[in-house]
Amino acid sequence: MDATSFILPLAEITIAGAIINASVHFVPVGGAPAAMATSTGVGTGTTQLAAGAGFTGLLAAATMASQAGVSLANPVHMLLIMLSGAVGAMIMLGLTMLIGQIIYVYGIGIVPAADKCEKDPITGDIQKPYITPGTTGHGIPTVCFVSGSIGAALGGLGGALAYIALQQLGFAAAIAGVLAVGFFFMNAVLASYNIGGTIEGFHDPKFKKMPNGVIASFVSSLIAGAVLIGMAMGL
Amino acid sequence: MSHGGGGHAAELFPEDQVLAIGAVLSLIGIYVAQLFPSVSMLLGGLLAVGACVAGANTTRRVAAYGLGTGVPSIGMVSLGMGTISALAGVLIPAAFGIPVLVTPILTAVIAVAVGFIVGKLTQNPVGMKVPIIVSSMTKLSLMGALAILGFCSAFAGGFSADIIINGAISNGVIALAFIAAGMAILHPFNACIGPDESHKRTMTLAVACGLIAWLVFSIAKLDIVSTAVAAIFWLYTFGTFVKISLADACEVKYVPELPKKE
Repeated sequence: MDATSFILPLAEITIAGAIINASVHFVPVGGAPAAMATSTGVGTGTTQLAAGAGFTGLLAAATMASQAGVSLANPVHMLLIMLSGAVGAMIMLGLTMLIGQIIYVYGIGIVPAADKCEKDPITGDIQKPYITPGTTGHGIPTVCFVSGSIGAALGGLGGALAYIALQQLGFAAAIAGVLAVGFFFMNAVLASYNIGGTIEGFHDPKFKKMPNGVIASFVSSLIAGAVLIGMAMGL
Repeated sequence: MSHGGGGHAAELFPEDQVLAIGAVLSLIGIYVAQLFPSVSMLLGGLLAVGACVAGANTTRRVAAYGLGTGVPSIGMVSLGMGTISALAGVLIPAAFGIPVLVTPILTAVIAVAVGFIVGKLTQNPVGMKVPIIVSSMTKLSLMGALAILGFCSAFAGGFSADIIINGAISNGVIALAFIAAGMAILHPFNACIGPDESHKRTMTLAVACGLIAWLVFSIAKLDIVSTAVAAIFWLYTFGTFVKISLADACEVKYVPELPKKE
């Protein structure tokens, strides 16, 4: 294997790690308070949500990559694989947020309202009067839903890009899939440690911490990429 | 007593001791699986439980500081780094013409290096305020890698690339190793966390979780002897865990009532 054939996959893996980390910051995570409707977002942890969206995206990308006639050498086909990853992840997270929202609104009977902004940046609706005192918002307001969809799309793109890079290095589909999952978890957890608890989306003050997480994932992905190339040499 | 944000409960065994025993046992198990494939699941699977227990012990120690993201995240990052390290240990010897017997050692070395670097990154630039995060990430990465390699080589009957790739990776068994070993590492403390957490109870559950992971692999391999042995061991440990839980609950239940008058 010559030098030029692994510089591109190394760059792709490093960028994929940074994208996965950035994607997690967009996803509205509420944790246990959200499960009790006393905070905004989906009622589970960052890692689980990002993993769910990421795996669906990875499966969508892998399915597209295994279609007859799809070649990794063709940039248009690569773009198609990445887009199918993004759409797969968006469907998963979109449905999770939609069903969660139905339960919040019709099951618990709350008004979706964001605590971290005066007005919803997208609809312009005033938020503050709808927040129950003692809580930090409820449900999944429009801005969180849009932010989550952007995050899922980025996560799917990142996961698909990592999968493409691993295939380009010559790993079989099974090994590339397993490695992409491990790689995805590493970066998703680094991002969740950067967030530390709950985040509403891109309008949340915590979103400004994103560069730290992205730098951390960039470095860790570069190292993981170097290890992966060492492994690929034996194939 | 152990709770999020606080210190940790009194320890029965020092962490490094558990870690060393877990690492040595799982390494022996991996070599047994390679050298004696006929007993790979019986002995290799049993000894891989050591890595799960040591990982669960480290999880208990680091998660007691309160990570802010829940206990499962540390188990998942452990297995994420572990998968890459374990596969690196399997595939790198073939690339550089190193004898295949160094695979477990190489896996451990790569896992320690990756864990240390990721741990450093969680401190700076991410800024985790947990004092033992670097050492814990290193240990968890090592235990995740040894658990994955342990269960996979026990299932495939060896760790050389030709055996393990067809026997445990291409058929998807590594996904089972990922989630079963991951649960065994993250679940014990996640289940026992709270103001009355005790090291003994958490560790008993850790052994039970490791054994049930072994039981799942034995059933998947259709290995009657190891299935029977694992089932007996698991039933015994889980029974002990239930007894300890009931005894601890009893302590809480029989707190004397407050006097009605001063």
